[in-house]
Amino acid sequence: MSTRVVVTGLGVVSSIGTGWQEFWSNLLNGKSGISDITSIDTSAHFTHKGGEIKDFNPQKFIPEALMKSYSRATILAVVAAKQAFLDAAIEIPFAQDIPVGICYGTTTGPIQVIEDINNIYLQEQTFPSHLFFQLPPHTTVSAISKELGLKGPSLVLSTACAAGNYAIGSGYDLIRMQKVKMVVCCASDAFSRISFTGFNQFKAVAPEKCQPFDKNRKGMMVAEGAGALILEDLEYAMKRGAKIYAEIIGYGLSCDARHMTSPSVDGIVACMKKALKEAGISPEDVDYISAHGTGTLANDRTECAAIKEVFGKRYKEIPISSIKSMLGHTMGAASALEAIACTLAIKHSIIPPTINFETPDPECDINCVPNKARKHEVNYVLNNSYAFGGNNASVVLKRFVE
Amino acid sequence: MTTEVVITGIGVVSPIGIGRRVFFDSLEKGETGFREITLFDTSALNVHIAGEISDFDPVVFLGKKGLRTLDRSTKLVCSAAMLAIEDADLTITETNTHSIGVCIGTTFGSLHSISQFDREGLIEGPRFVNPSFFPNTVINSPASQISIRFNIKGFNTTISTGVCSGLDAISYASDFIKLGRADVVIAGAVEELCEETFIGFHNMGLLSGVDGSESLCCPFDKRRNGFILSEGAIVFVLENRKHAETRGAKIFARVQGYTSCITSEAEDALSEAISSALKDASMNPEEVEYISAGANSTVELDRLETKALKKVLGDHIYKIPVSSIKSMIGETFSAAGAFSLGAAVCALNRGFLPPTVNYRVKDPECDLDYVPNEARPMDVNSALVIASDLYGNSSVVVINKI
Repeated sequence: MSTRVVVTGLGVVSSIGTGWQEFWSNLLNGKSGISDITSIDTSAHFTHKGGEIKDFNPQKFIPEALMKSYSRATILAVVAAKQAFLDAAIEIPFAQDIPVGICYGTTTGPIQVIEDINNIYLQEQTFPSHLFFQLPPHTTVSAISKELGLKGPSLVLSTACAAGNYAIGSGYDLIRMQKVKMVVCCASDAFSRISFTGFNQFKAVAPEKCQPFDKNRKGMMVAEGAGALILEDLEYAMKRGAKIYAEIIGYGLSCDARHMTSPSVDGIVACMKKALKEAGISPEDVDYISAHGTGTLANDRTECAAIKEVFGKRYKEIPISSIKSMLGHTMGAASALEAIACTLAIKHSIIPPTINFETPDPECDINCVPNKARKHEVNYVLNNSYAFGGNNASVVLKRFVE
Repeated sequence: MTTEVVITGIGVVSPIGIGRRVFFDSLEKGETGFREITLFDTSALNVHIAGEISDFDPVVFLGKKGLRTLDRSTKLVCSAAMLAIEDADLTITETNTHSIGVCIGTTFGSLHSISQFDREGLIEGPRFVNPSFFPNTVINSPASQISIRFNIKGFNTTISTGVCSGLDAISYASDFIKLGRADVVIAGAVEELCEETFIGFHNMGLLSGVDGSESLCCPFDKRRNGFILSEGAIVFVLENRKHAETRGAKIFARVQGYTSCITSEAEDALSEAISSALKDASMNPEEVEYISAGANSTVELDRLETKALKKVLGDHIYKIPVSSIKSMIGETFSAAGAFSLGAAVCALNRGFLPPTVNYRVKDPECDLDYVPNEARPMDVNSALVIASDLYGNSSVVVINKI
């Protein structure tokens, strides 16, 4: 198939900035988005920090009247999608009479709506039916469609913490199969009491900071965010004179088929190999790996072992960083935000660091770009993501050359 | 030659029977699956019936081991998957597992699990929540458990597009086969009956009988006054035609074309989806011999579906039989489109059209041939399957005989 798929617009809502420019500059400066949690009472929990977005003004993007009918996950997603559209220099509402796809990834969608319903239900024994309407995750896609004025195929990929990459992959497929010329790939998750409780009960949450690949790493940090990428058919993008950030040349999915929560080397190896194969490149070509890198003992060790298996001798030499060290784990949004970081790494030839790195771990003896961003020419990037259920997804991005 | 996608196995767990044969027989007899709800207390509500599968015993299909922490959705869909794999006479081994995938549509499937997990934290305190139930709080847990239980490693995807979820899962799976990513995909959908979903739809005023009138399920009938909520799982084995023929599998139908469309205007979304699906199937409207509708006995949706069909198919629509099996099984929401596809496969293979039962009073706005009350003996070669809602989400799949 000869259709090429390029990235032409980026949108970000994160704990270290709204809009890709602020996000990127903070990533390069190694700024942490971790702070004391204020949206829920953590006094009865084991830990108290997370990656909440605190200085966020969605009013700039969404009319006040509509805000009440949207869940937080929807608000985050709509803002990211609108930014991406504007960044791609496309007018809102979309004026062209062609179908545009929307592929949205999320772990639990409007999970915080369930929490709101429970708060009311347990206090007042009543069921707030107006909130029920916000519950299905595809209401987020409806909102994006409405806000941007789009009509076309849509998908909601609720594949937990790999959902962002799944959404990008599906968007890539829609264009490659020539069903549409343009897709909004978006992923979001709101900070959630349920996730925070669950990961704490798993003893998987770090109390202070997220330290991927560090010997003394203590776990992941629950966070929130949204990332959106505009994907276009290259010809269509060229014709409208779009600026092109990077090209997507393939992705791979695999399933561990073993355990709901503990990752498997075999599954991750299969996933990376499939992605490289579909992209038509070999491990030698990869210049940078954006790791899933959650900062838990199990994840980082498993991921490093898998990378060793796929990349052989080169595993120590390839820069591999985890921006979760700064953002925490934004769940479904994570791999979309990481794909945006990959895109910008290609564009600017700089690799964002893994911050909070202090003590090397012999089991994770990779080149994790510790603490400081590094100048490095990046032509091919592998963006890894793994999820509950053993749902793995890796996307390959490439420097755009005509 | 382009890759063709065929259906080689069907597994059903429904309110009108478990297993393909029983399900098809019940469709022929026009049986209904509505009964008093026993899964939760409805005494404070106005509606007490649903399509509850009261005789469902997962142990029969899955054995006793490992069932304790699985939620109802997971048990339903794993049982349906087991029946589908058995029906297709498919053997999954270490050699072929990487070319087999799973794609399941579900939206509210984990709602009860998520809600209960949160309530336990609120009532008992977050440190007393049982972590073994945390994995059920991700929407992709039912699909992932299929992979774990049947060792399916190719990929695992969950799609949550509300009432379109089932058909979208079929489309996604078909794309994966066409793109050469898989030879076989276990694709389907599930919805469990639970208190949270039931009260939600109840309090939104969407259930039949919620205003004190009689609980009825009579799609297209003038008396219709809302839907009867239901549960179930239906899973198909989709396969590359060549692969199926090589292994001598029995072929039920070919997935000829499909599409989904989202836009803020519901009728527009559905007519767009119908015409795009026909285009994707390279079929003229005159070639459609049966329509398996999504009408669920609500005033607006049944009218909207009738209108959209007239708009796309013109006067020819009066010659095409249209029926809704929701008259028998009720509204299975995420699973609905997949169940309607099951009915279409039945029509192609059993030589009869499933009826719209409980049809008595004609509505001037719904004036098509709805195959009223009794199955109609008829040989059909092609069928169009619809899933749509009132909020602008529509998906359509076209199947035909080989």
